[in-house]
Amino acid sequence: MAHPKNWLVPLTAVLCLFPAAVALAQDATPTTPTMDRSINVRPKPTGVTPRTPDGHPDLTGLWNGAGGDLGSLPNQMHNDGIAIESQTSSHDVHSGAKIATWPVTDRKPIDDTEGERAATLLRRVGSNKPIYRPKYWEMVKELDANANEEDPSNNCMPAGIPRAGPPTYIGQFPNYFIFIYPGEGGLIATQTMYRMIPADGRKHTPLENLDGTYTGEAIAHWEGDTLVVDTWGFNTSTWFDQLGGDFHSENMRVVERFHRDGNELTWTATVDDPDVLLEPWTTTPRIELLNPNPKAILQEVLPCSERELAHAVTKDHH
Amino acid sequence: MVKKANMIRLSVITAMVVFAFQTARAQSANATAGNTPDVSKTLRSVAEALGMARRTNRAGGGRLPFVDVINRMEIWGNGTTSDGSRTALQTEYHVALSYNPPAVRLEMSRTNPGGGAPQHTIQTVRDDYAWNESQPGAGLEPGSGTATPAMGAAKQRLLQLWILPYGVVKAAIAAGDKTKLSTENGSEVITYPLSGQLAGVTVKATLDDKNFVAKVETQADNPAVVIEADYSDYADHGEILSAVQSPGHILQKQGGRPVLDIQIKNWDGANPYLVFPVPDSVKKAAAQEPAKAGTTNGL
Repeated sequence: MAHPKNWLVPLTAVLCLFPAAVALAQDATPTTPTMDRSINVRPKPTGVTPRTPDGHPDLTGLWNGAGGDLGSLPNQMHNDGIAIESQTSSHDVHSGAKIATWPVTDRKPIDDTEGERAATLLRRVGSNKPIYRPKYWEMVKELDANANEEDPSNNCMPAGIPRAGPPTYIGQFPNYFIFIYPGEGGLIATQTMYRMIPADGRKHTPLENLDGTYTGEAIAHWEGDTLVVDTWGFNTSTWFDQLGGDFHSENMRVVERFHRDGNELTWTATVDDPDVLLEPWTTTPRIELLNPNPKAILQEVLPCSERELAHAVTKDHH
Repeated sequence: MVKKANMIRLSVITAMVVFAFQTARAQSANATAGNTPDVSKTLRSVAEALGMARRTNRAGGGRLPFVDVINRMEIWGNGTTSDGSRTALQTEYHVALSYNPPAVRLEMSRTNPGGGAPQHTIQTVRDDYAWNESQPGAGLEPGSGTATPAMGAAKQRLLQLWILPYGVVKAAIAAGDKTKLSTENGSEVITYPLSGQLAGVTVKATLDDKNFVAKVETQADNPAVVIEADYSDYADHGEILSAVQSPGHILQKQGGRPVLDIQIKNWDGANPYLVFPVPDSVKKAAAQEPAKAGTTNGL
């Protein structure tokens, strides 16, 4: 009969391997905005792209399989164009440049101040920046440096377009689309937004006849399998990128492109605003994952409530 | 008895698997692609000391690795510089720089204590394009000032990126197994070659006892890119604190003579908005010098 202690070595070995197994398993599961992830690149797309009776790709669905677009640091870095492929490898999607990456070797606690300062830097490493007219360079820098006071989305105002990124829910109908952007805490405390976007061949209202709004006047059409949403008629109460003081004029025009490949949706937005930009600027592509649960629904989000601004005592970035 | 032997065999195999797993994990812990383990370990220590290698526990980022967070920086200081004469000119010093893309905009306002008109210069480089600006962003649109091509100065200007402490870490990692580690007078020394447009330049960086870069020396056949830089008084010199450690004093020498001696007033290491578009007039000038045109990372 084997001595009971003979089980000790294999048991210890299995226990040693258990955390790694759990970590691998977590990487394979759908994420939520609050779930830690060790990388932020998206997996290869799977499944077929469904089509509507009129032959277009069907974009209908809940596109939050990778968590909230603005709500988690892995996604915020993804939005900024930083692709973390492994614990030792990252690169800048826009330029292709490699970025030095070192694995976590211990779990030393990080205090809130250090954690927030590091997050501020991590969210801003990307190289894809809009080129403003030189007379606005200092202004953009100052707005970013004073974002605690200057960010127009503070106090739960809408993030606007294209700062809100791709919608969390898309409803596709023969002649229009419904986009829903649930409010999020986190990077910017955003209010829930929705857009009803006609796709019936109509033309834009002349800009001078529009009162500027947060989401503008959007009209959609298909270019092959890519849905193109062309929007103008904005107010000037939003910034157009995730971070960085990227103000715009009321003459901003935004063209968003949506392309579905199986369970993935790739979104880009091109911002054209000759009043303030030297040239049109296109976001780094964002890839959203379809929620893997076909029964998933959009849950009600808590009313937006800005709790931290009143306590801001330094210029530390958010 | 058979069961006991199988149990022991299983135990040994499992223990070997665990050992191999842990060893591999330990070996990869300091890995940066291409560098030898000792070099990787040292470069990681320098990156951590400088506040370059960062991770956070905020917003679901707790399992992400350490990432190099340095890309764009802005530096303000004052002190003295030399314009080639033996006179030390009082200098207001302002640098905007970027590693991705590689670019520098050096703005200096200089006065001669002995008299003469003040000088104001803006020297800019991006990739292989170098030009002088009458004001930041000159030449990009009508009425924004004049951009004067200065292609011959591209190497010297790009070199400034790679002799800064952060550039030392980035370039030493990029040089892979060509980066060597040694000890001189009790201090660790990192030696690596630059490549691309700066091929032929070898950089030697000496560390202090806190793993900060204390001295950088370049070696090359071209005397224009042979320079020595001393860095001291490291701290977070940012107006908005970011925990990026930067030198408070920079002393550069060429041919043994000081060419720049600057005390830092503010060092924004938090990736501020800085851009370096190349004016069309500069691109056209570069096209007339095809051997110098194109893009590299300056390494």
